[in-house]
Amino acid sequence: MSTEGKTSYAGLLKNGIFGENPVFRVALSLCPSVAVTNTLKGGLLMGIGVFFVQTLANVSVSIVRNFVHQRIRLPAYILIIGMWVTAINLLLEAYAYGLYKQIGLYLQLIVAFAIILSRAELFASKNKVVPSLFDGLGMGMGFLIALLTISFFRELLGSGSLFGYHIVDTKPVLLFVLPAGGFFAVGLLMGFFNWIDMRFFGGHGASGASH
Amino acid sequence: MKDLIKITLNLAIIFICAGAILAVVYAGTEPRIELTKKLEKEKALKSLIPEAAFINTAGTYEPLEGKKAEYYIAKDKNGKPVGYIASSYSKGYSSIIHLFVAVDPAMRVKAINILDEQETPGLGDDIGKKYFQDRFKGKTLDQLVVVKNPDPAKIQAVTGATISSKAATKGVRTGVEFLMKTYLPGKGVTNGAACTQPKAPDKGEGSNK
Repeated sequence: MSTEGKTSYAGLLKNGIFGENPVFRVALSLCPSVAVTNTLKGGLLMGIGVFFVQTLANVSVSIVRNFVHQRIRLPAYILIIGMWVTAINLLLEAYAYGLYKQIGLYLQLIVAFAIILSRAELFASKNKVVPSLFDGLGMGMGFLIALLTISFFRELLGSGSLFGYHIVDTKPVLLFVLPAGGFFAVGLLMGFFNWIDMRFFGGHGASGASH
Repeated sequence: MKDLIKITLNLAIIFICAGAILAVVYAGTEPRIELTKKLEKEKALKSLIPEAAFINTAGTYEPLEGKKAEYYIAKDKNGKPVGYIASSYSKGYSSIIHLFVAVDPAMRVKAINILDEQETPGLGDDIGKKYFQDRFKGKTLDQLVVVKNPDPAKIQAVTGATISSKAATKGVRTGVEFLMKTYLPGKGVTNGAACTQPKAPDKGEGSNK
């Protein structure tokens, strides 16, 4: 899974968005993909939060990678992730209170997201700082795009609106707003991307990282 | 043994570094956070009774067991009360709803503001939207009753979220009831219109006849 030093930075970004997309390809952090995606705004805010935490966590883990003892690496990574989440939380509360009120609750959950710890362990702990930075940016973007895609369909189908603005006056398929609809949306989209991968790129579907 | 020392040192250094970074961030942001929260509350109060010159905390009461809430008195610049505001809590479908309700001196609802709720997204959380909160405007205590069909003299529930709507209304009722007990101890519901209508407007109409 870990990419060698020779991979280009653009390749790392692309890998996060397509090849190993956190939600659709690696199937990690599915909980937030279901929990916060019933509105486009929720998906966007959570995606941005993960984007920053992932990037910061990757860089800091990479910096301390040769210093941290093998046996305590997980608690050390969790501590680093928790520290960044708390710091971002405090900064938002002080300087962007309106945003904090909407995103604060989600932000604190990021500490426990599998994708962030997974990238710290699989990539940042084995690679230099700059590649880790790009891996974090790519994974963060991949997660953001995945959440936006899911929440776009869920809000449109479930509430008949986008970003809270009504497109149609009814709620076409109410199920999509409810948690169960989240599973349908994630599953159908994952299947769709698998189909594209297999049909056009000769891949093996999710988890068969092919690019 | 060597490992043990290295692990201990490792953990200690990482924790101290993380602690120090957080301490710096906290120290830098804390005063601003306090200030923002205070301003935010003042803004929320002010938007409920925009014509008030001063809004002062009058005391606290207990709208929900174990939950203390403040209430406020709003005065114009001559010190005459122009309305009252109560903060209130109520148990919703999946969360405790926290809201402000503002009434005029005759105890008719002027406006409400849902400050915090975690009701079902897409359904119950519509109580936080303007169209639902506007349904409370001008209502007296007797009219704060939830119904399913449109009724200008009652509170129409949010479609598919009767429990959340009822909970929000109950919170408003608790606030209004408390304010009535405190500021209109004459008990029975006053018919606001009868006693507050000034005589001045008669002039124009009289000449028409």
